[in-house]
Amino acid sequence: MKIPFSWLKKHVALTTTPNQIADDLVRLGHEVEGVETPRAAVKGVRVGLIESKIPHPDADKLSLLKVNIGEAEPLGIVCGAANMAEGDRVPVATIGASLPNGLKIKKGKIRGEVSFGMCCSESELGLAEDAAGLLILPADAPVGAEVGDYLELEEAVFDLSITPNRGDCMNVRGIARDLAADAGLPLADIDKSMIETNGDIAAPAVSVTAEQDCPVYMARSIQGITVADSPAWMQAALMMAGMRPINGIVDVLSYIMLDLGQPMHAFDADRLAGNISIRSARDGEDFAALDGRELKLNAGDLVVSDADSVIALGGIMGSEASGVTGATTNIVLESAFFRPARVSETRRIYAMVSEASMRFERGVDPAMVAIAMQRATAMMTELFGGSAGEITLCGDADTINSGRSVRCQVSRIATRLGVDIPVAADAVLTRMGFGVNRHEDRLDVAIPSFRHDVSIPEDISEEYARIIGFDAIPAVLPPLSTIRPDQQDRSIHDAVAGGFLQVVSYAFISSDEQRLFVAADGLDIALQNPISDAMSMMRRSPWPGLLSVARHNLNRQQSGVALVEQGRTYVQTVAGHDETNTMAWLMTGQTQQDQWHCAARQADFFDLKGALETWLSLRGLTGRFIADDAIQGLQAGQSAKILIGRTEAGRIGRVDGDIAAAFDIDAPVFVAEINLDKLPAGKQAKFVPLPEFPAVERDLVFLFDRNTSSDAILNAVKSGAGKLLTDARIFDLYAGKGVPEGKISLGIRFTLQDAKRTLTQEDSDAASSAIIAAMDKRFGASLRG
Amino acid sequence: MSEIDALKDRLESLQAEALAAFAGAEDLNGLQGLRVHYLGKKGALTEVLKGVGKLAPADRPVIGKFVNQTKQALAVALDAVEAELAVKAKAARIEAERIDVTLSGRKSGSGALHPVQNGLDELTAIFSQMGFAVAEGPEIEDEFHNFDALNIPAEHPARAMHDTFFLKDLQGDDGQPMLLRTHTSPVQIRAMKRFLAESGEPPLAVVAPGRVYRCDYDVTHSPMFHQVEVFKVDRDVSLAHLKGVLQHFLSAYFEKEVAIRLRPHYFPFTEPSAEVDIGCVFCAGKGCRICKGSGWIEVLGSGMIHPNVLKSVGIDSEEFSGFAFGLGVERMVMLKKGIPDLRLFFENDVRFLSRMGVAK
Ligand SMILES: [Zn+2]
Repeated sequence: MKIPFSWLKKHVALTTTPNQIADDLVRLGHEVEGVETPRAAVKGVRVGLIESKIPHPDADKLSLLKVNIGEAEPLGIVCGAANMAEGDRVPVATIGASLPNGLKIKKGKIRGEVSFGMCCSESELGLAEDAAGLLILPADAPVGAEVGDYLELEEAVFDLSITPNRGDCMNVRGIARDLAADAGLPLADIDKSMIETNGDIAAPAVSVTAEQDCPVYMARSIQGITVADSPAWMQAALMMAGMRPINGIVDVLSYIMLDLGQPMHAFDADRLAGNISIRSARDGEDFAALDGRELKLNAGDLVVSDADSVIALGGIMGSEASGVTGATTNIVLESAFFRPARVSETRRIYAMVSEASMRFERGVDPAMVAIAMQRATAMMTELFGGSAGEITLCGDADTINSGRSVRCQVSRIATRLGVDIPVAADAVLTRMGFGVNRHEDRLDVAIPSFRHDVSIPEDISEEYARIIGFDAIPAVLPPLSTIRPDQQDRSIHDAVAGGFLQVVSYAFISSDEQRLFVAADGLDIALQNPISDAMSMMRRSPWPGLLSVARHNLNRQQSGVALVEQGRTYVQTVAGHDETNTMAWLMTGQTQQDQWHCAARQADFFDLKGALETWLSLRGLTGRFIADDAIQGLQAGQSAKILIGRTEAGRIGRVDGDIAAAFDIDAPVFVAEINLDKLPAGKQAKFVPLPEFPAVERDLVFLFDRNTSSDAILNAVKSGAGKLLTDARIFDLYAGKGVPEGKISLGIRFTLQDAKRTLTQEDSDAASSAIIAAMDKRFGASLRG
Repeated sequence: MSEIDALKDRLESLQAEALAAFAGAEDLNGLQGLRVHYLGKKGALTEVLKGVGKLAPADRPVIGKFVNQTKQALAVALDAVEAELAVKAKAARIEAERIDVTLSGRKSGSGALHPVQNGLDELTAIFSQMGFAVAEGPEIEDEFHNFDALNIPAEHPARAMHDTFFLKDLQGDDGQPMLLRTHTSPVQIRAMKRFLAESGEPPLAVVAPGRVYRCDYDVTHSPMFHQVEVFKVDRDVSLAHLKGVLQHFLSAYFEKEVAIRLRPHYFPFTEPSAEVDIGCVFCAGKGCRICKGSGWIEVLGSGMIHPNVLKSVGIDSEEFSGFAFGLGVERMVMLKKGIPDLRLFFENDVRFLSRMGVAK
């Protein structure tokens, strides 16, 4: 909310600068988002006493003045105005001063006469749009004083962000109270003078059946008003506070709400039918609000109604039909206390926020309900005529928030803040409206009715912390807690070390993207209030996100990308839902540029598979890759599930060409994912003695049928070669010239070793024969000549 | 000329011829040929010695000695030349093997951690070293953990400020709506319950990193971002301790002594509450565009854990107290690295990622 400096000063005689006030506000817990200066201070304009005035010898309309500005010699000034006389006090802009209209004052000659300054009008000081002559200052204006200080020309507006607990500070007086308490200054009294009522005007008939939600309701009739614009000073104040003037009645209510914090409402009495009742809405009841919306209300909503219809949603907004217009002459004025929780709930249901609802839901001061009513009546009748009837009062404001107190221990507050609580702080708390009674360690604090946010000792400790100042609290390291530190999860670090860039993509994707890799099975989790259709579902696969990132980068001249992401996927389950920790990879295009030592190459399945194998081995795991043609969104023949032991823990493969094309990617795209929650703990490496005897390596090259799985071949080698075999792998793969159609040439390199002796020619011959026999038996494969 | 003199003559001229030949040898191979030619079994010297048989027996020892001297002289000369040629040969090989050491090395693709990951790692490492245990919690939460247990009842104005994403199709206990957590604070509740179940009572000290969600998307807001929640509960934990931990951790993270300022604020789950500013890291507190001239930058919200929060997990707030704070990881990384735009984190441009992914 925006608070003009000049308005604050109506409640407390602040003596410091706006910047100092801003710092004080921050220290007291009121965030200052900005300080605007609609009128800057005017400097160098002094109060001058006209000692003599003679006509200019060469110009009829000019005068030559001698003006005393408190210096040894009076200034000679040439002046074109006519409304001043000897003995008048006027503002004198001295040489070097700059005026709000941008004019810089210099020594000048006017028709041959030297002028050492300029006498100013109201408009030249920025006080009025135009002016007929000089501003004549009061006869007691101190000669020589800065006019800016004397007239309090400087204005500043504090833009405050009031925290939701401080409803009492959503008005000028509340902020003034904190500043006054802090500075040790008195808070000005509120004008509580009673107004004369007109016995001929009947008090409105009001019945409250929803006492729970509306414990206090006041109404009064004011008749014979002539609605006019509010006075200029009020309009200026409202505009600085960020509100638009509407009409005199509405403006007075806005002004008092901003000033004292009590929202009120005025109904056009001639547009009401019958008695007023404050009650629960009927289910489906219509309400046409002032903001043009037509609502169907729910049973339980708090409404103000007349005999025919709802005239206000309690504490939130009046109806269009019952509002005050320029033609209004008779009004019913309402001032009430609406229960914060009710206003908050209704406001949320209808997404209907108003200045009134913001205050009611944070809690207004019950003691202010009647005072504000009196102030409003007085201002309205004074400004717009008319006379007021007696007040109808339902409920008792004194029963709300009254008599509350907290008992606490000074020592405990001191321990929890880490600083002593000086007795001097009690006085500040008292000025803030609390009743403070300290007896040794015991502290009894009476809570004022406007502080809805204070109810427990911790709230009191917060008040003391504000008063003492957080800067005065020392910084102390607490004793260490003894806990066992966790091992850091290295998953993503190991993946990145394999040459992949880690990305972070949103957890939500579009429903179309959801369907790329997951069939429609009713287990999606959709957002009720998504940002957009493109972000409407919690992802069940990390791949659409990675594809989007790949597209983004390939569109920006990257020849290829290698990406990895660690994040969660989300799915409904029988038990409710599940969040799965997932690691996902994507490789496509040339992930390496042409180099002097090697040419660029398109990433393929085995680049990604190798990365996964390395990543798994770093966690002490080995994966088995089982061809699987039925993985949705992946190309049959280039996709596999990944088994760790017996657990299916992941998938890998080439993205279906149509899907890749939908992401504008021409090159083959390879993706993989591992379910981190399904990964077993890897085996800790155990010490094994290093071999003492040399190993023997042999190569055998066979012709196999083209579709033979190398995994099956190596398994057959391992089971057929005998106990001496320690390793076997494919070292060469060839199909083409010299190899018969439908066949493939595979080179197998195997290693033999014995821990107890050096191997002989016979040993390796025996193993070779065993392997040859096994390949023949299992696959019908023959040695290649 | 006697037989013996003639033989001596031949040996002398052979020696002179051989020495000249050695000196002219161009490489070790040629020299080896000369060695065979002169000193080999069928070499020139052996040829000369065939004439010894014709000598008188008395002359034979004389000429024998002479032959040995010649042999010796040739061998010494050969070794000297050989050594010289070996040095030359090595120098030639070194020259031939010269490479351009400024050519780039053979690298596999260089990966990098996402800058947010780097930030998370740095932050959690600092707190781990200070004795805080790492905990995580679910991103899909119920209203109880995200709000109620944190002292934010349904009608509370603060609840509306959270811009919560609600989820269709899911229901929590008692039919509560499910939502995406708006902060990492629910981990306070879950971790406190879990730690208490394990160890019965405080002390407990936890750092909880994770993703959070707000229904807010513009230049300075992302619907998904990362937070780190830190809290400690023990006997006599004070606001002064909170200040101490903040001072230590912020200086450790920014790798220099930073000034901190606590401003009273309001959060439902802490009392007292404070927003924490650091002296602007861009202008050293002098005032610049980024700190809007104030010299201070807001970095996180903090406070003493509200008794209602402790109560909701069964901790006696008379006996124990605690502090808690939560910080936005993206914001911390932006401040540390001078990254101007939040959106860069989620655009995942590889040029940005590879540049920012380096540790320092
Ligand atoms: Zn700065």
